[in-house]
Amino acid sequence: MDMSQYRDLFLSETREHINNLNQLVVTLEQEPGNRETIDALFREAHSIKGMAATMGFDRTAELSHHLEDMLDGFRATGEVPASTVDYLLAGIDLLDGLLDDLQSNKPERSIDAFMVETPNEEPAREESVLTAEILEEIPAEELVAVAVEGESEEITPADESAPEPEVAPVVKVETEESNKAETKKKSVKEPDVFKVLVKLAENTPAAAARGILVLRELEKSGELMSSKPDMAALRGGAPCQKIQAWLRTSLAKMHIEEALLRISGVVKVRFIDDRRKDESSGRDEGGRTIRVRTDLLDQFVNLTGELITNRYMLHTATNGRDWDKLTQTLSQTSRLIDDLHHQVLQARLMPLENITGRLPRIIRDLSRKTNKEVTLRLTGAEVGIDRVVLEALTDPLVHLVRNAVDHGIEKEGVVTLSARREKDLVLIEVADDGKGMDPEQLRQQAVDRDLMTPSQAASLSDRDALMLVCRPGFSTTEEVTETSGRGVGMDVVKAAVSNLGGSLDIISAPGEGSRFQMRLPLSIAIIKILLVSCAGHPLAIPLTRVQRTLDLPTCDIQLSGQKRVFRLGEEVVSLYSLAEALGLPEVAAGETTWVVLTEVQGRRVGLQVDHFLGQREAFVKALGFPLNLLVGLNGATVEGNGQVVFIVDPQALLENRQLFKND
Amino acid sequence: MALRVMVVDDALFMRSMLKDIFVRAGYEVVAEAENGEIALELYQEIKPDLVTMDIVMPKKSGIEALQEIMASDPDACVVMVSALGQDSLVLEAVESGAKDFIVKPFKENNVLEIVRRITGQA
Repeated sequence: MDMSQYRDLFLSETREHINNLNQLVVTLEQEPGNRETIDALFREAHSIKGMAATMGFDRTAELSHHLEDMLDGFRATGEVPASTVDYLLAGIDLLDGLLDDLQSNKPERSIDAFMVETPNEEPAREESVLTAEILEEIPAEELVAVAVEGESEEITPADESAPEPEVAPVVKVETEESNKAETKKKSVKEPDVFKVLVKLAENTPAAAARGILVLRELEKSGELMSSKPDMAALRGGAPCQKIQAWLRTSLAKMHIEEALLRISGVVKVRFIDDRRKDESSGRDEGGRTIRVRTDLLDQFVNLTGELITNRYMLHTATNGRDWDKLTQTLSQTSRLIDDLHHQVLQARLMPLENITGRLPRIIRDLSRKTNKEVTLRLTGAEVGIDRVVLEALTDPLVHLVRNAVDHGIEKEGVVTLSARREKDLVLIEVADDGKGMDPEQLRQQAVDRDLMTPSQAASLSDRDALMLVCRPGFSTTEEVTETSGRGVGMDVVKAAVSNLGGSLDIISAPGEGSRFQMRLPLSIAIIKILLVSCAGHPLAIPLTRVQRTLDLPTCDIQLSGQKRVFRLGEEVVSLYSLAEALGLPEVAAGETTWVVLTEVQGRRVGLQVDHFLGQREAFVKALGFPLNLLVGLNGATVEGNGQVVFIVDPQALLENRQLFKND
Repeated sequence: MALRVMVVDDALFMRSMLKDIFVRAGYEVVAEAENGEIALELYQEIKPDLVTMDIVMPKKSGIEALQEIMASDPDACVVMVSALGQDSLVLEAVESGAKDFIVKPFKENNVLEIVRRITGQA
């Protein structure tokens, strides 16, 4: 069977399980005797094992099996020893690593070291895996626990021969009806008594249960006179590789043999030596999967159904030249389309908790490492976010939380992660109640690091001073710490948020903690745009990139060296021409200069355009080769009149231009 | 008429795989359930010709669900899907009336052979 089509599903579902494992272990650490948590942990490991084994990912399967065994032992004792928590967590990390390997198509990393350093507490029960040793009827949860104890005295090696039945094999009874074998009445003849030897495959899983199925099949074929092992022994879980049975039947041996061989695990029945056919089946290719709730799909069907009805109404109204009816139907249509749009977006949304799952674990580890007492509070984890946004947000979120523990909180405190909807945006905030940040100190640091002149620094508002931490190479701590001083800095967080068309704000003051707010679009396929005219061409700017628009008296624009600037309250803002940045001929401004205020590298800048054409929603289409090579163009959208409008990313555009680098 | 199958497993992954196997074989997957509780409800409602039942599931285990299904419909055709090392549970399931069992990791052919055997469909 071609398993590659299940790979993505396997990876995503296993990641969820790993997340759950992490969360559960942290919960467990707080309540070591919580039975439900231990059971849940066991189930998670068990699920991973089953899936990994099916995929043929041997090490992942082996490791999860190992963890499962260990957890199973804890289910028996009802408690997880504190000393094993770290071991468990290390195991979960290793699983995560194995998954990374699989995701990047690398061979699975070695798990030998981990498997060797088993903690003392782990019950030794590996050997119970392939043999069934259970006798009594015990509640499912207790079963394996009993296996640990070992009931080996019950296991008796199978004798070589089954006891001879009372009936002599030669006796033939004329009138014997062919009893239960109605369905298999293929060749009825006089009942015969004979011995059947059935051999099961080596290491057949649950061999005793398999044995019972074999005996049941024999019972269907005639009168099962005796067998070794017999039903009772098999019920007791006796090992069974071979089954010998005496059977009285009027069915042809061939048919019995055939029926037995159909039982999976049966490799040999004594009489006939032909092999089971081994067919291989063709398969089709799979696509990428997404999980959508069925009620959502139902709503799609409903809505499209209504749209179809609507189309007929539109036809009718048009044919009848009934303008009132037409107007009315059009407004219905537009409502339906809005609904449909909303529902389709829903299908792409995934709850934030998909990526917050590992945070409790991260906080726990960080608290230990830094000797701080940190509590994590999560609110709004159920808020849905576009899956693309969510995926891109994973690392920034972790970084913010690490930062909060590392730089924000001093000895003990609370890190709060909250999410909520704000119209068509999602606000995600990471807040700490630590020492807060001092804008003045940040200004000083910027000067010390030659990032700006003292006067430039002084002209920064407090808000902008706080945003300095997002400048590449700017760090508030002198020493690079192991936890947050590695690679990913605030600049990366800021860039990730910007790339998603979102914005980042920092609210902080000395002694008042810090709040990092990310505002992100719900979906990135359909965005709100500002339509502008630039050198006579319509262009679109994502509204998330627009701080505000200005119509500036042209005389207010001044020259500062080579640059054009204007005042905005206290601030001096540089002005660039969008046409120039795009290499288009410049159109001279009249009395009024139309300016789009945006932000580039944490600085507010103005973009001059011809004039504004309005706002609307636009479906973003990706650009194909070679247009996708153009820096500063995000995609395109199609106007109602069929005109293609390019979507400009001001940040990428200006960053790439010499005119911006010069100052 | 195509065999009507219900697939019970808490992992979407497993459900998808089994479902694809059955669909390729020309069977109709009429229901999926992610735990024993839902399985039981759906069974009463749909009465599928065949059920594949995972054993370890939240809410209600496959064994409990099997037992309740068998109690309500002694002719029910339930195949357990178990992992390696669940011998005792499989034994219990077979004792409780499961017609057969499939052990993960399984091959497409194993599954179909088992289904064909117990449903008598070639």
